[in-house]
Amino acid sequence: MGIVFTRLFSSVFGNREARILVLGLDNAGKTTILYRLQMGEVVSTIPTIGFNVETVQYNNIKFQVWDLGGQTSIRPYWRCYFPNTQAIIYVVDSSDTDRLVTAKEEFHSILEEDELKGAVVLVYANKQDLPGALDDAAITESLELHKIKSRQWAIFKTSAIKGEGLFEGLNWLSNALKSGGS
Amino acid sequence: MFSLLHGLWNHVFSKTEFRVLILGVDKAGKTTLLEKLKSIYLKGEGLPHDRIGPTVGLNIGRIEDANVKLVFWDLGGQPGLRTIWEKYYDEAHAIVYVIDSASASTFEDAKSALEKVLRHEDLQEAPLLVFANKQDLPAAVTEEELDRHLHLKEFDERPYMFVAGSAYDGTGIKLGIDWLVEEMGKSRRTEALRARTDTYAKI
Repeated sequence: MGIVFTRLFSSVFGNREARILVLGLDNAGKTTILYRLQMGEVVSTIPTIGFNVETVQYNNIKFQVWDLGGQTSIRPYWRCYFPNTQAIIYVVDSSDTDRLVTAKEEFHSILEEDELKGAVVLVYANKQDLPGALDDAAITESLELHKIKSRQWAIFKTSAIKGEGLFEGLNWLSNALKSGGS
Repeated sequence: MFSLLHGLWNHVFSKTEFRVLILGVDKAGKTTLLEKLKSIYLKGEGLPHDRIGPTVGLNIGRIEDANVKLVFWDLGGQPGLRTIWEKYYDEAHAIVYVIDSASASTFEDAKSALEKVLRHEDLQEAPLLVFANKQDLPAAVTEEELDRHLHLKEFDERPYMFVAGSAYDGTGIKLGIDWLVEEMGKSRRTEALRARTDTYAKI
């Protein structure tokens, strides 16, 4: 997958520094996805301000991962990671129907951030391997993706465990960024 | 004083922005049309058509003509995804409906999906451009034949134009867009949308 990734994204950003945020509630499968993409070692850091950010540096693209939800006191510090963000990959546990409302609220509140206004949005409806997982249309409805009108978005059914759907999503993402982003 | 002048300047010289929906069943060629639009009007490259996969969400294209800004919303056309179309109706000025003229087996689906679009109250009076796509393919049917399948004449009173063309080679695109821009400029729907925005601005 690492090589595929190079092929897709090398021409997108050139040598520019770029950032892709991988966000979602805890246990959505974000870290598993990063491992699946095999782009390098996932480094976990817990800064003193107290939230855990995982980073993968892949060429000039920095992938950064943290859990949304929970403690509101640390949220202002999230903004340290917003500049130069070209894309947000939002990961949802499609089988965790109880928390879809929370997933939706967190999602829309992060999209309102000024510095993320230009970022395109890729949604992974993850854990499709689990029984009871909702499909892409149902997740679209639950997350109210249709409220996004001023930037490009797409949703893909994925199973990070099986490695399914991840590539298709990245393929869309590289096209979206190439064709002028938002 | 400056701000007054500045406001006046903006009022007189700012370009009107029109939002146009690109709809149609899956594989009609909506995203290819969007990319071709970008390459024609932005003089850029646009994505090569072999890189375009099925859309499962929203693609956006912004182009500027001499007097107007156009924002195109290209929405996925697979049956399960069509439920999101209507969430974008309310703010749209016009519709481009794309049909694959070379795929007779999809005509029924295309017709019923279009009828549903036109029945929706949030799209009242929105000008409609039907783009009979893929005319570059040998299997493409003629305008007359497509007309027999779709019964286009039976549509309601909205401004309506039919263009046979190709998103692949660009045929018919400028013709259709020119018509659309002119229609949107004089459309009562445009008036209504503008009045609504002005009301919001005052609140």
